Amino acid sequence: MKRKYIWILLFILATGLFSAKSFAQQVQGSVKYLTTYDWVKMINSCSYLSKDRKDKTAYLWGNRSEWKVYNNLYFSSQRSKYENSEEKADPDDDEGYAGRKETFYLTRSYENKTYFDAIEMLGKVYLVSDSLKTPDWKILNDLKEVAGHVCMNASLTDTLLNEKIIAWFALDIPVQAGPDRFFGLPGLILEVSINNGAKTMTAEKIEMKELTKEFDLPKKLKGKQVNGAAYAAVIKKFLDEKRKAEEFPWGINY
Amino acid sequence: MNKVIFAFLFLIISIQAFSQQPSRETIKGIIKDGDNNIAAFATVMLLNPHDSTLQNFTQTNVDGAFVFNNVRNTDYLLKVSHISFLPLQMHVSPSQTAINDLGVVAIKPIAKELFEVVIHEAKAPLSIRGDTIEYDATTFKAPPGSTVEDLLRRLPGIEVDASGNLKTQGKDVKRVYVDGKTFFGDDPTGATKNLDANAVAKVQVFDEKSEQSKLTGVDDGVKEKAMNLALKEEYKKGSFGKVTVAGGANEEGVARWAGRANYNRFNKTSQLSFIGYANNINETGVNWEDYNEFKGQSTFDDYDNGDFGFSTGRGRYYSFNSDDSPLNNFDGRGFTKNYGAGMNYNFDNKKTKLNTSYFYKNNQQNYDEFDYKETFFSDSSFFNHDTKHYNDMRQNHTVAARLEQNIDSNNVIIAKANFRYSIISSNEKMNNLYSVNETEVLNNLFTNNSLDKNSWKLTSAAIYRHKFKKKGRSFAVSGAYNRNPGGENDDLYSLNQFYIPTFAEEIHRLAKQDIDNQQIKASLLYTEPLSKRFFNEIFYNFNTQDNKVNDQVKDHLNSDARIDSLSVYYTNKVMINRLGTDFRYSYNGLNIMLGVAGQYLQMNGRYSVDKDLPLIIPPINKTYWSLSPKVAISNEFKNNMQVNFEYGYELTEPSFEYLQPTPNVQNPLYRIEGNIDLKPERTQTFSANYNYYNPASFSNFGVYADYSYCPDAISYNQTLMWVDSVGIVTVSKPYNNSKSNNVSCWMWTGYPIIKTKFTNDWNLGFNYGNSGSYVNDIFNKTDQYRYYINTAFNITPTQKLVITLSGRATLSSSKLSINTERDQFSQEYTAGLTVKWQFAKKSFFESNFNYQFYRNSQYSFDQNLPILNASVRQLIGKKNHFEIRLAAFDILNKRQYIEQYTSQNYYTHNSAATLARYFMLSFSYNINGYESKIKKQQYWEE
Repeated sequence: MKRKYIWILLFILATGLFSAKSFAQQVQGSVKYLTTYDWVKMINSCSYLSKDRKDKTAYLWGNRSEWKVYNNLYFSSQRSKYENSEEKADPDDDEGYAGRKETFYLTRSYENKTYFDAIEMLGKVYLVSDSLKTPDWKILNDLKEVAGHVCMNASLTDTLLNEKIIAWFALDIPVQAGPDRFFGLPGLILEVSINNGAKTMTAEKIEMKELTKEFDLPKKLKGKQVNGAAYAAVIKKFLDEKRKAEEFPWGINY
Repeated sequence: MNKVIFAFLFLIISIQAFSQQPSRETIKGIIKDGDNNIAAFATVMLLNPHDSTLQNFTQTNVDGAFVFNNVRNTDYLLKVSHISFLPLQMHVSPSQTAINDLGVVAIKPIAKELFEVVIHEAKAPLSIRGDTIEYDATTFKAPPGSTVEDLLRRLPGIEVDASGNLKTQGKDVKRVYVDGKTFFGDDPTGATKNLDANAVAKVQVFDEKSEQSKLTGVDDGVKEKAMNLALKEEYKKGSFGKVTVAGGANEEGVARWAGRANYNRFNKTSQLSFIGYANNINETGVNWEDYNEFKGQSTFDDYDNGDFGFSTGRGRYYSFNSDDSPLNNFDGRGFTKNYGAGMNYNFDNKKTKLNTSYFYKNNQQNYDEFDYKETFFSDSSFFNHDTKHYNDMRQNHTVAARLEQNIDSNNVIIAKANFRYSIISSNEKMNNLYSVNETEVLNNLFTNNSLDKNSWKLTSAAIYRHKFKKKGRSFAVSGAYNRNPGGENDDLYSLNQFYIPTFAEEIHRLAKQDIDNQQIKASLLYTEPLSKRFFNEIFYNFNTQDNKVNDQVKDHLNSDARIDSLSVYYTNKVMINRLGTDFRYSYNGLNIMLGVAGQYLQMNGRYSVDKDLPLIIPPINKTYWSLSPKVAISNEFKNNMQVNFEYGYELTEPSFEYLQPTPNVQNPLYRIEGNIDLKPERTQTFSANYNYYNPASFSNFGVYADYSYCPDAISYNQTLMWVDSVGIVTVSKPYNNSKSNNVSCWMWTGYPIIKTKFTNDWNLGFNYGNSGSYVNDIFNKTDQYRYYINTAFNITPTQKLVITLSGRATLSSSKLSINTERDQFSQEYTAGLTVKWQFAKKSFFESNFNYQFYRNSQYSFDQNLPILNASVRQLIGKKNHFEIRLAAFDILNKRQYIEQYTSQNYYTHNSAATLARYFMLSFSYNINGYESKIKKQQYWEE
């Protein structure tokens, strides 16, 4: 009889501890995104290039216009970090030439509502820090599965870069984080498509795990310190010049 | 008065009402389904009802309860989503109280079948718009040729009975729309039985008002099921093409004409194109733009090189095969008539890439050329004044095919073949006037040589690449078969006339040459990753070449008897075996390769006068062994800077023309002999370059330099001798004569003076080379220097005006050690101005002016060529389908062909008349219309 009570007590304790732990355990982990660039679609989404040029680019390069890279996202409810992966995504690059790794770290603190980005753009490293402003996501009714998670559709328009963004966020991972500069949805963003597929980021692997040093940034990050508005001004100036020159604005990393 | 009181009262009441409605509220509720099941961990969102913008979000707790604390009290769209339920949307009005308790919010579970099949199995997006459920039909693969009915049978939630009637959610589908429109009347099966499944992109099922209520406009509340089939948008489907006819004349009334046409049809996977041209305005082929459009996606090939070894590791590259290409390559001399036509077909569905093409080309050229040449001895020289009349007709039929099959992501096969049949006939009549100084004429050699040649050439290759499971480990094998047989008949006539004493010698020979060259190649490559950053490559190349040449020369003046001293039949074989390895380091922009290859080269040759006659010399059997190292380093730095360095060592075998024991005698005064004792040339090459570009300032800078050294370069030793009753005879024979050094450097930069309006670019170059050979047993070292500078200013003040100003100078000097008084210095300058001006909405003026100067003070060679072209064109029609262009070419009537150069022990300058001033009117039609805009310079990739 005693033993029975002990068992019950143990069971209660165990479940209690377990449930306590599972509630205390915060949602955190990492996502590997496959980023695909389609430069025919990129050129096609450029408002000021002539139709003739867009058609010709599609005609000449339509079937070999993609290149692919991997990116990693580390997330928790409080913060996230997004960076380039060392793993090569394009099978043709497997045994090939290794390009220089550009400085690219995007970190967000959802607690403090701030962000810090280190981005190499137009030959310079910018260290951008400012407060986080949640974008005006529109929520639509489409559902689809990405990497085993049911996701809901949200959309956004970026007026600076003239981009139409479609995001898919997971209904079962309640974290605000997402790939690239995207965040601020009720669930982890697992897929983003910019300008009808000109650039897409799709989660390939999601791991829920305790993170330790993954949020750390490299110790020596040198660059020009700017706020969000100053960084946007650099982009805007470049875009305006390229528009005047009627050239595609290669080199923008936002 | 009553009204005033009433208004006042109303104001008070409304203020009161307004003050009663708090500015902030707390919204809460519990989410449950119809069976009272709690929806825990559901996402609850507050959206702006006007544009669905997300305002706030939260999650339900384990009890299905949610709360939004302290939100603005306004209209909201409350949205609930959960993986097991259909998304719910409801309107939430502003609350009168601080707490807005919505109570139980009921949601519907998602149809499990729909969910499982659509979302999980087909990975298709499921779209829910009120009552409409839509999914992407393209993810439900129906076999090719299937009807929509076959497709619908595969779709979850849709039942199709034996006669094709549709049911969904237990109700009959009364109507089927195609892209929102009724199809084949009222019968819903009309569309589903007739339409191709592959044309459908989306299937949408929704409730529709009954026909009755649509007619009456009174909603009877009866809903019927309807279906819409949204068709695929083939975004890359279309055609383009244009046709131009042009006619004109010069002042003498010689007609100038040209015609060009091309037509392309394409869809997502295939491209079919036709092109044709004919003209007598020296356009021997098509321009790059037309060629690019004609070849479409097969203009460039990737992974095509089967000769593996010392790859610098670039995974993806494109190569342009210029062999047999129908591009314009007029050499500048005389007048031509040109005809050509071809077709090209490309198919590419990413798994299979196929390209096939056929091209026919016919070029007829004739010109008169005047050549001046001085040939130096150690202490004197002699001169040639030659006049040449040349005409030819060249025809080519080319059929090419290339197939790339991606069996899966780890295996790819590439097979390609190119077959060309050529017919050439030419005639060259030449007067060679020999003199020892400018006035004292020795003799005149008249030659009249005709040639007829038929040949075909096959080049074919296959490559197979395999990637192993281990990342970076790969294997490739390739094989190639090339064959080039041909037959040639030459009629060689010469008449050598002497003035003091008067004397003439006539020679008339007929030569028949049969050639058959065959080459077989095979290569293997294995790549092993040693770590993430280190790779090892091992490669093997096999190359064997068999040549058979039968050259029979007959003396036509001596009853066509064979001339044994000039006739030769030879077979020879070269076999190369090369085995090599390299180690590569690739990480973060730094790529280093160190490698070495051992090469074993065997040459066998047998020479006789004719096929069945005994050998005239013992068979040649030579073997060479070499070990060649290779180094390649490249590094990318910050700020878009890149540095490359390369070192290589190569062994090149002497060609069989150099070795053959029977001389080549095209005319009695010029004789080329072979040398059986030649050794291969060993060449070491160093090269380095630096590149920088600044995308923010639109500027770039680059430097390139290379140096090569060959200690045993092959060059012709010359023996110049006076032979009585023949004249000055030149006998050339190749030897491994001397050290040869070559240096070249290039520098280029481009930058804006005013961004997007005014840019400047520069190209600077320097070349130095030395080589040596014996002239009459005296060693002559030739040092040659060449300097090149080019600059251009591009001015674009408005979108309607583009001006380019350019200048170029090329200075060459050469020093001959045997005759230091004959140091040469020649100059060539060009100044250019191009204007493109859109002077009215559809009217354009284009002009370019080029002023070229040729100078060599030692020979008083002084030629100026001012070339001015101008045209106006007008676009006509609503969509600019037509264009009329009036053009004047070489308005100053100065164009001619000019060339000057120094080599070994001679200086020469040549000139030939060519197409000068003419006027032309052309009409063009473009099926998609012309762009009413000045064409900007485009980059090759766009």
